[in-house]
Amino acid sequence: MNPALKPVDTLDTWLLGSSERLTRGDPPWLARERACARERLREELVPGPREEGWRYTNLRALLEQRFRPALGVIREATGALEEGKLQAHLVPGLDAWCVVLVNGCFVPELSRLEGLPAGVKVTSLRQLLLEDPELVERCLNGVAGLGAHVFAALNTAGLHDGFLFHVAERTHLEKPLELIQVSLGADEPHLIQPRHLVRLEAGARATLIERYLSPEPSLYCTNNLMEVDLGEGSYMEHHRLQEESPNAFHLSGLYVRQSGHSGYRGSNLALGAAWSRTDIRVAFEGFGGDCKIDGLYLAGDAQLVDFHLDVEHRVPGCASRQHFKGLLTGKGRAVLDGRIHVAKQAQQTDAHLKNANLLLSRDAEVDTKPQLEIHADDVKCSHGASVGQIEPEQLFYLRSRGISIEAAQRMLCQGFAGEIIDRIEPEALRSYAYGKLSAALDRKIPAE
Amino acid sequence: MLKIENLHAAIEGKEILKGIDLKVSPGEVHAIMGPNGSGKSTLAHVLAGRDGYETTAGSIRLDGSSLLTMEPEQRAAKGLFLAFQYPVEIPGVNNSYFLKASVNAVRKQRGEPELDAVAFMRLMNEKLTLVQMDRTLMQRPVNAGFSGGEKKRNEILQMAVLEPRLAILDETDSGLDIDALRIVADGVNALRSPERAFILVTHYQRLLDYIQPDHVHVLAGGRIVRSGRKELALELEEKGYSWLGIEEEAA
Repeated sequence: MNPALKPVDTLDTWLLGSSERLTRGDPPWLARERACARERLREELVPGPREEGWRYTNLRALLEQRFRPALGVIREATGALEEGKLQAHLVPGLDAWCVVLVNGCFVPELSRLEGLPAGVKVTSLRQLLLEDPELVERCLNGVAGLGAHVFAALNTAGLHDGFLFHVAERTHLEKPLELIQVSLGADEPHLIQPRHLVRLEAGARATLIERYLSPEPSLYCTNNLMEVDLGEGSYMEHHRLQEESPNAFHLSGLYVRQSGHSGYRGSNLALGAAWSRTDIRVAFEGFGGDCKIDGLYLAGDAQLVDFHLDVEHRVPGCASRQHFKGLLTGKGRAVLDGRIHVAKQAQQTDAHLKNANLLLSRDAEVDTKPQLEIHADDVKCSHGASVGQIEPEQLFYLRSRGISIEAAQRMLCQGFAGEIIDRIEPEALRSYAYGKLSAALDRKIPAE
Repeated sequence: MLKIENLHAAIEGKEILKGIDLKVSPGEVHAIMGPNGSGKSTLAHVLAGRDGYETTAGSIRLDGSSLLTMEPEQRAAKGLFLAFQYPVEIPGVNNSYFLKASVNAVRKQRGEPELDAVAFMRLMNEKLTLVQMDRTLMQRPVNAGFSGGEKKRNEILQMAVLEPRLAILDETDSGLDIDALRIVADGVNALRSPERAFILVTHYQRLLDYIQPDHVHVLAGGRIVRSGRKELALELEEKGYSWLGIEEEAA
């Protein structure tokens, strides 16, 4: 990283020179969407620390980079992965359909989609733009709208590929679908911007596992955006594991719209990347919606992890529960901003947000900001945040049983995180998550 | 085996132990009695290496090695075990996982091979039977939501698995009903051996009905004011601490 580089003024800079390759073959409506987004990038200055949403999340290191869209390295990358590189990153024992994206591009050769039940469509966005552009038009930005911030516009402006996951009415997907997003380094840092559209029609049920990983410690930036549209009475489980390269930047936008009586249950594990920012927005649009989101983040030296949560109770009778836990070591930094908004008409809302953090060092920092905005008068809402340290009593107890101080700290961290990880299904993924956490703790709290 | 000489220890500048001398030989059971505030628990904690105590003078040697320079985990590897008065709850950490980590940490420090899952299960099952502990407790988080008796039994189980040279039981009898007390005492008695020694720290004589001590020491004001055989405990029970001119501090 060259410290002499000036931060970019507008995010448009990262797309310069790539327009033609990005837009080739676009239907006219997409050209217009893209142009609008480009316009926004050019006009809107990059967010600064004075903006509330970025107060504790310094963008400078990100903006000093000169990223280029990742579009052309797919062939050789795929070859390397086919030689078994991917094998080492699979979840042992996980029985799932699988979609692999390399640098944001859907790679059919690496994906496993045989035997998907009728009514379930899993396809590349690129392909879909050729086959059924109207469907893409109906879905794109339908849930995300303008997005949480200008990086959503960056994703639209640079839209290239991604996937669509569509489950027809009353169709149940028995096995999970796993989305593996692999980043492979190249000569210059890549900007990887997959766009994903997920739609469960009325009464449909599905589990989506979403993983970000890199077989190399390369520097790149992921800026993904997923829109999830849940029909009446549908139910989705969604487990997201961020295992990016330790030098990567990771931006992730997840936008969920819930119709009446739909259920969403998500978990988010953030273990990798040097710098990460996740925005999750949930909007209830029908009576009886239920949303549960868990999160676990781990940040050590030279790491920042940021979650911004936003739950919109627009209609009556919906329940939301968010539970995020953080572990911070060394000079690790974390930000948790959780907002619950209850509109005037959203009576009988049941909304709760909890955030607990364990700091293992004096140099670690967490900025946690739970917020409730309630305009209705018949609701049950709560929020709470805590920042604590390892209890000396617990540490002494473990050490008195022969366990080294570092191993005892790791054990207590695992115990703290267990509450979140234990809720991950299926079991194979839960074991994998425990393994990943344990490996990350081994690196962050090494034995003397 | 254990030799404590002129041990002085303070908490936040306040001296609690004011010159303790104690010798424990293999196979012996020593009871340390005394009123509240006499320094009994401090002595147990200083032996185990808890933070926050400053040893201002004296020495503790276990089998010839100085304990005071060792970390708590090194003392455990050396064969010292403290059964806590208030066993600590560790939410989220599975009891059996913890016990395996513990026994293997000790074995590793001693240069012994770690136990694999099968060998550990065999050992654990054998000791569970010995202390008559419900095995479902092994699949729960360490001590979390355990009853008082279950917690104490878990301490005895850990002791049985770790097979220490010297076990210190800090007020293990407190808060136990007679049945639980008997089970804990049976566990301790089953572990008595010519190579192993015990120090029982207790306020009451009650525990000593079940575990017969070889020596009884009365601690008051940070010093051992009287030592004797087990009859001393009975005498104390009958006459109270005031018999020795000791005033009990309000608990």
